[in-house]
Amino acid sequence: MDTIHACFKEKIGEVLLPGDVFSFRLPESGDGSIKTEKIICGPGLRRNGEEVQVCKSGILRHKQPNMYWIDSQQRRYVPAKGESVIGVVTSKSGDIFKVDVGGSEQASLSYLAFEGATKRNRPNVQVGDLVYGQFTIANKDMEPELVCIDSCGRANGMGVFGADGLLFKVSLGLVRRLLAPQSEIIKDLEKIFPFELVVGMNGRVWVKAKTVQQTLIVTNLLETSENMTSQQRQTLFKRVAEGSL
Amino acid sequence: MSPMKLCVPGERLCSTEDCIPGTGTYLRHGYIFASLTGYVLRKNEGEELPVISVVRETETQLLPDVGAIVTCKVTSINPRFAKVHILYVGSTPLKDRFRGTIRKEDVRATEKDKVETYKSFRPGDIVLAKVISLGDVQSNYLLTTAENELGVVVAHSEAGAQMVPISWCEMQCPRTHAKEFRKVARVQPEYLQA
Repeated sequence: MDTIHACFKEKIGEVLLPGDVFSFRLPESGDGSIKTEKIICGPGLRRNGEEVQVCKSGILRHKQPNMYWIDSQQRRYVPAKGESVIGVVTSKSGDIFKVDVGGSEQASLSYLAFEGATKRNRPNVQVGDLVYGQFTIANKDMEPELVCIDSCGRANGMGVFGADGLLFKVSLGLVRRLLAPQSEIIKDLEKIFPFELVVGMNGRVWVKAKTVQQTLIVTNLLETSENMTSQQRQTLFKRVAEGSL
Repeated sequence: MSPMKLCVPGERLCSTEDCIPGTGTYLRHGYIFASLTGYVLRKNEGEELPVISVVRETETQLLPDVGAIVTCKVTSINPRFAKVHILYVGSTPLKDRFRGTIRKEDVRATEKDKVETYKSFRPGDIVLAKVISLGDVQSNYLLTTAENELGVVVAHSEAGAQMVPISWCEMQCPRTHAKEFRKVARVQPEYLQA
């Protein structure tokens, strides 16, 4: 029971490189009983016959009871189905908008994929607008497709936004931390001053506060909180809060 | 074998009492005339009269005909159709690659509107299909896989290993044990190599 978990346990929290292999030598058990255990390989780990290979560089993480994955740093976004992203409309042709989402190809967004849009009632989207949408098709063989409605036909927060404000790019790891259910970074930021925030899983973040100066302060705080421990971040936020008030 | 006779379009070959007209010929006033430039080929098909035909090269060039089973390779996919290159017609390889299209509605016979091309084919798969139309000047051959014996025969997984079919809609990679969706062909047992 412990052989497989033990192989992983000693490496939890360590930095692993692609090509590292976990091979399991099952002990010669005299009584002939081999207990089967199930391990779930998350992103960054791949099964290759009788061994598990690492395919991304990063830190090995573990979640009870049996899930292991590699926590990797990445800035380049790869579209995946179901993810909500911020895109920039680059062109309109026929019935389709072309949207830049930061991937290898531009995604297509149909005119009818907005709430309340029909063939007569076209949505008011111009080239250069920001849209928040979800992927319905996203794989390496086809062009990705975005929609701004959910499966019931409601907008649910998606669509065109952002008359003012600032759009900037961060790493995917920071975006995941911001989107976690009880994100400490967001909670600490809220105490300084109110602002509007849209986070896309493609690493793009849009911020708008009351004045331009406040917007820039929030942008800088978000960008620097990527490489700080929570201690350093809280001292920095406290200094900013005192300075601005 | 006697040297093959050359002919040009319009040349009278023989009368209908001697032979049956085949490809590259036409009938006029009870005589068979050639319509192509090439070699005259007389073949005994097993009926009473031999079949006379005109061919460009000595070996017959097989063109995919409506209803023929072809083997093709998927080159690109699209939410509406898949583009393929036709490699074999029946069991004869083709010298040039013809282009074919498999539309979304022609992938399978049931639940045609719920078909997702990404779950039926991927680029690089080898597919058995049937020709339903030769298409016009611009478009390619139209193919269908809407039968049990048609569909994907050889496919490679994302890890690069050749996959093993487990049902009519799934295949499994032997190395990573990951399952992928394909529209799998039910190959007759006598064609499977042990």
